[in-house]
Amino acid sequence: MPPALRIRGLTKRYEDGFLALADLDLDVGAGRFVGLLGPNGAGKTSLISAVCNIIRVTSGEIAIFGEPHHSLAARRMVGLAEQDVNLDRFLDVEETLLYHGGYFGMRRAHARTRAGEMMDVFDLRAKAGVRAPKLSGGMRRRLLLARALMHEPRLVILDEPTAGVDFELRVELWAYIRRLHDSGTTVLLTTHYLEEADELCEDIVLVRGGRVIGRDTAEGLRAAYGATSLADAYVRAMAGVPPR
Amino acid sequence: MTDLLERHRGLIALSGRESVRVLKLWTQTIAAPMLSSMLFILVFGVSLGGRIREVGGVDYEVFIVPGLITMAMAQAAYSNNSSSVFQARSDRYLHDVLAAPMRGWEVNLGLSMGGVVRALAIGAGLLAIAAPVTGVPVRHPFVLLLATVLVLVLFASLGVIVGIYAQTWDQAGFVNNIVILPLSFLGGVFYSVDLLASPWQEVSHVNPIFYLINAVRYGFLGTSDVPVLVALGVTAALTAGIVAWSASIFRSGRQLKD
Repeated sequence: MPPALRIRGLTKRYEDGFLALADLDLDVGAGRFVGLLGPNGAGKTSLISAVCNIIRVTSGEIAIFGEPHHSLAARRMVGLAEQDVNLDRFLDVEETLLYHGGYFGMRRAHARTRAGEMMDVFDLRAKAGVRAPKLSGGMRRRLLLARALMHEPRLVILDEPTAGVDFELRVELWAYIRRLHDSGTTVLLTTHYLEEADELCEDIVLVRGGRVIGRDTAEGLRAAYGATSLADAYVRAMAGVPPR
Repeated sequence: MTDLLERHRGLIALSGRESVRVLKLWTQTIAAPMLSSMLFILVFGVSLGGRIREVGGVDYEVFIVPGLITMAMAQAAYSNNSSSVFQARSDRYLHDVLAAPMRGWEVNLGLSMGGVVRALAIGAGLLAIAAPVTGVPVRHPFVLLLATVLVLVLFASLGVIVGIYAQTWDQAGFVNNIVILPLSFLGGVFYSVDLLASPWQEVSHVNPIFYLINAVRYGFLGTSDVPVLVALGVTAALTAGIVAWSASIFRSGRQLKD
């Protein structure tokens, strides 16, 4: 089976000259749970946006389960929950899910059933007719996740999914993301919460300056940087300390 | 047919979303522009019509109806799409559409449909009210249909383009307030440019909106300040240029994506 995500030589230079990604290579095996860690401006969101066709790439190749990332087949297999809450202000919860299903080619009846499931899973049923701007912060975050999963993607990309949510919701979202992975879905997660990466991810990729500077399990990174915690390993890696 | 619909579910969903937005905001998107156009017809046509009587052998209240309908439809198609696309970019929910398995032309067409629906609702509503009030005829339905399609495509596409380029709400509204509205007034909505003295008559012929108003007016009244083929030809050329511009944005992704 081809990897869920295969990136070769990915470079992104924005029009203002900023180099966000510099000849980056990355593989994510099918069914893996991979965390992307790096400071603000490291290139994590640019990487995700390039995979999801939200930005244009300067050069390089991206394949999703063997399909070029810009192909319709590849797009159908990816679900994205962005860091910013980017919900359609004119649609209510149920419409948000139904229209998303439509954009991704789902039949109306199937989309309606799936939207019901997603509302139940994310405890949104009581808010089905409420427009996004009227939802609480936690509800919006849940709706973002529900929308990303609506079309049953094989690769789910979560860009800081628990940013700004309270502890209870974070634990609840962790449990859901874990169940999602257990069901065979490949997950690529970015987060600034190192304990979240430690708790959830099988592999952790460290990104700095648009390049991958390290990759291992949390345990492997601790050992490689002679650290007692993932946070220590992360700080040393970002400071440019070479691994052992 | 079923196969065609199956292959373009994304386009159908996006068109539906844009149309739903128009209908949810119907007091702003449909009722308000219809009311202001009807006031123009009542104040300028029915009230002042007694003093002006006829233009080119047509009662004044009848003469102004085609131009007012054209202006209302053009503004509706443009402003709907420029604001909808700008808002989608500003709030970033456009990303959900850009990431979806849709072709560039499907996204372009889907985003354009809200303006088309809104303009058609306003145009049909105005005609339904103006026809019994003023007795405006439809002399050449095919010309009217063709001219209406050109107006809708031209301004719906222009709205999408400006929505993509605009960096602020002011910029999104600029083209409507500073270009479309003045050119519509100067394009012969309320008068025949044949009544103008030189050089204003010649200057009016440089105004592109003059041609589309005359194409629509010919469809309704069978009269026009320029030959109808010239009016349709200029409008079609302008529409082709704007559509080509819009298509190139969605083909390349430039401006649309960082």
